[in-house]
Amino acid sequence: MKVILDGKEVDAEAGRTILEVARANGVDIPTLCHVPALEPAAMCRLCTVELVEGRRSRLVTACNFPLRGEVEIKTDTPRLRKGRKVLIELLHTRCPDSVVLKELAERYGADLARFPDDNKDCVVCGLCVRVCERIGANVLALSGRGVEIRVNTSFGRTARHCIGCGACAQICPVEKIRIRDEEAERVVIVCGREAARIPLRPCSSCGKPFGPVIDLSLVMERAGEAQVPAFNLLVCPACSRRSHARRLAERHFEQYDIEPAPGGGAE
Amino acid sequence: MPEAQAICQEPEVDFTVLDRIIFDDYGGNREAMIMMMQAIQRQYRFLPEPALQYISQAIGIPLTKIYEVATFYASFSLVPKGRHIMHVCTGTACHLKGSGGLVQHVAARMGLDGGGTTPDLKFTLETVNCLGACAVSPVVVLDDRYYPKANVGQLNRLIEQIDTE
Amino acid sequence: MATAPRAAAAPSYAKKFACAGELEQYRQALIERTDPAAPRILVCCGTGCKAVGSLDLLEAMKGAVSAAGAQVRVMPEIKRTGCHGFCSRGPLMSFQPENLFYQRVQPADAEEIVRETILGGKRVQKFLYTPPGSKEPIATVDEIPFFAKQTKLVLKRVGRIDPFDINDALVHGAYKGLVKALTEMTPAQVIEEIKTSRLRGRGGGGFPAGVKWESCAKQPGRHYIICNGDEGDPGAFMDASVMEGDPHAVIEGMAIAAYAIGSDRGFFYVRFEYPLAVQTLTRAIRQAEEMGLIGENVLGTRFTFKVSISTGAGAFVCGESSALMSSLEGKVGRPRPKYIRSTERGFRDSPSNLNNVETYANVPEIILRGGAWYTGIGTERSTGTKVFSLTGNVHNVGLVEVPMGSSLREIVYGIGGGIPNRKELKAVQTGGPSGGCIPIPKKFLDINVGFGRLAEIGSMMGSGGMIVMDENTCMVEVSRYFISFLVGESCGQCAPCREGLTRMKEILTRITRGEGRPGDVELLEEIGTFTNSFSLCGLGTSSANPVLSTIRYFREEYDAHIRDKKCPSGVCKPLFYYEIDPATCTGCGLCRVKCPAKAIAGEKKKPHTIHQDLCIKCMECYKNCKFTSIRIM
Repeated sequence: MKVILDGKEVDAEAGRTILEVARANGVDIPTLCHVPALEPAAMCRLCTVELVEGRRSRLVTACNFPLRGEVEIKTDTPRLRKGRKVLIELLHTRCPDSVVLKELAERYGADLARFPDDNKDCVVCGLCVRVCERIGANVLALSGRGVEIRVNTSFGRTARHCIGCGACAQICPVEKIRIRDEEAERVVIVCGREAARIPLRPCSSCGKPFGPVIDLSLVMERAGEAQVPAFNLLVCPACSRRSHARRLAERHFEQYDIEPAPGGGAE
Repeated sequence: MPEAQAICQEPEVDFTVLDRIIFDDYGGNREAMIMMMQAIQRQYRFLPEPALQYISQAIGIPLTKIYEVATFYASFSLVPKGRHIMHVCTGTACHLKGSGGLVQHVAARMGLDGGGTTPDLKFTLETVNCLGACAVSPVVVLDDRYYPKANVGQLNRLIEQIDTE
Repeated sequence: MATAPRAAAAPSYAKKFACAGELEQYRQALIERTDPAAPRILVCCGTGCKAVGSLDLLEAMKGAVSAAGAQVRVMPEIKRTGCHGFCSRGPLMSFQPENLFYQRVQPADAEEIVRETILGGKRVQKFLYTPPGSKEPIATVDEIPFFAKQTKLVLKRVGRIDPFDINDALVHGAYKGLVKALTEMTPAQVIEEIKTSRLRGRGGGGFPAGVKWESCAKQPGRHYIICNGDEGDPGAFMDASVMEGDPHAVIEGMAIAAYAIGSDRGFFYVRFEYPLAVQTLTRAIRQAEEMGLIGENVLGTRFTFKVSISTGAGAFVCGESSALMSSLEGKVGRPRPKYIRSTERGFRDSPSNLNNVETYANVPEIILRGGAWYTGIGTERSTGTKVFSLTGNVHNVGLVEVPMGSSLREIVYGIGGGIPNRKELKAVQTGGPSGGCIPIPKKFLDINVGFGRLAEIGSMMGSGGMIVMDENTCMVEVSRYFISFLVGESCGQCAPCREGLTRMKEILTRITRGEGRPGDVELLEEIGTFTNSFSLCGLGTSSANPVLSTIRYFREEYDAHIRDKKCPSGVCKPLFYYEIDPATCTGCGLCRVKCPAKAIAGEKKKPHTIHQDLCIKCMECYKNCKFTSIRIM
């Protein structure tokens, strides 16, 4: 199947999204709420492009529009640039210190002073919620509606069933989810608020807390296989490395010993 | 089952009632979750958290998803509502006839910020988009009774009645 | 003592009808046993009349009639019916067979009515309707312009039958269309008939129903039929009245659709604010099931169709089809980000046909009388009739059904009776919060109301709300009202709708407070255009219409607010004040008495004055002055 992408004819497999085809052909369409591993949600609308079918032209989002026929796609028209500019200006008010939005603002000539800041530390792209459903333990939700919508935990309370996988922190485009270890607990902070706490397991060797205590059955279910690599370690990585190194040293350095001590040995 | 224990400590939720709603009335059908929640809200005038946790376990839907539903739809409340509930219609016809002023008036009089429940759980003020009685706008409904062509004086009398209870 | 005709007339039915013949036989028996000359009193118990106490009136009438029982020659049958439509005159009742119409009747009047009208055969003048500006009361329904100028197709049984009694509906022809479809037509023929009728969806989009049915029928897999009864537009109650007044028309329409498309399962989605509609539908579905008109093997055929009701939980966005289907699945009602039609993959990811209440209610008559007949009503591009709920600043508030293409003049003046209190008509708002305001005096009074024409002038048909606005309506404030409604109802998932609406509301609120800045109108236009083109669902892509249409037609009002800091309509309180014109003030003192803030002073028979610091701008003086001496400055 052939489609025309920004004036050039390119090959496209039927059923692929516009975004996939564009990326395969080196055309950069901006997105905030999309990662290839998750179902598209079309929430940020930044990837809106113009689709020309015959004489009709309409706006569609590239991330979730499946190509079915031979169409023309325009990804960077004045109309789109104007819309994206307003969109970035509006989203920027929610997250004034976001690096990604600043870069986008530069690209589209957005006037970031046009609307007053309304700092909410979140652009409601929904990625963290969706990834938590897929990989994590369903800790995060999009609660409320309209202006009130926000990333939240059930009843706004600190969740205890989080598995601390960190997928939310990794996926957040505006980097507003942080994970830090506090003494014997791992804390997940979403948009400036504590979302989850997971107790940490003390190392049986040095006594320092390290990995989170989690519900393994859920992880195995998510992983889709019974065999999950050694998760429930009793020894922290540092101690583990140290003892491993010691054993290695004992074993290997002995071979180079020219005169082994009597009675001693690597065995 | 630590979670089940936590639920049982709440005295106000009757689990036989929940079972009746979830299983007898709606056959444990996940698609009927909104209707179950409505039935629970009718029972308790709000959605008690233990009840939502119970639904979550009973029909196997994560609590976060139930919480999303509970906060999305306007008719659900996660905090107890008052014994008397006043709905002021703010549909277009009622708006043109000044229902906004009625809301402001009642809210100010009851010390509520635009709506909500009084601390003594006696009274709840809510707005509703359209009750379909536009001919007699503005419409106020107090405890399921309609007050057509409502005015400030009439609402004052209703509030006084509630106050003296 | 005579017995009520119904008790004698109702033949019993113990089981389901095994074939169409049995149903028709039963219907015939019902009709024969109904004496058309027997007196019947129809008491309107629609939501509007219920709000003004019609249920009490119904009981009082029953009590008064049975109290007078011994003297009554033929006991009249007292029926509760759905909405008569003339809601501003409620509570309403009509007397059959002469079609005598009484309005504004109170329960206390029941005894008098029985004595004078039923026993005495006299018309009580005070209950008769007198049109505004006339002194001659009108006695019968057929003579009242509000009713006479309507074309009732969807509403033909609404207000005439008892919605809780299927027998009553059967006498008036319910399920004849279904019988014809099942016995004389193939599913393809049914679809063809609907396509011939050019029936378009009445929910707002105006998509041709036949085309939708056809594309849904083509899909493999289990099919679902869904009826959208989530009529969320504030100021619209057409669908409520149909569901409350003639539930069988909708059920029959759905059953015909199910037969055409090949579905065995249907759902009603009704908003919870309509408890009466849920009640009537629940009862109607049960009665139809008991008679075998829906359910398994309908009328002995192989067609099976089960129907159930789900209620919404308060979300305007659930009127959007994909959001409605999510909600029906028990989930959050957010529109789905999918470029796949719901006729392909909708409810439960299966092919689903969703139409609104009024669309389905049109279907039985089309099947019965043919698609070609239907195209004879309305215009070329918009066939049939449309039900509007006429509200706002108009004499006759209520439900009106007119052929598509009727002029606004006909609706607002002919049927609506014009604008009360000698005010000027300023605008008509159609299409609900996503619609637009049409300026009337300028050029559009004779516009033909149809799908295409309304869209051309920046509004839309929507589901049929029609709000009449007089000169004391501030268009900036109206647009602020609709935008703040939508801010509360946006689902919040997509950024343009959520953020764009929020900013528009901020700007509009600022303007109505007198804090507007130069450039605000241009900014509103920029955000509005963006929101309308970049949003995800139908709600979002029309959400800026109230702003854009008022700017288009009432730009000078925005300018007055922003530049002159004036609200010419006298609505935005910081932007106007009242003044008494000393030249016309007669010093009658009415305003002084009415003023709740005691801000008006003056001697008798001398011009009064308003103390501006005390005035709370409540409009009482303005409303009450008989000499229009109070001016908005």
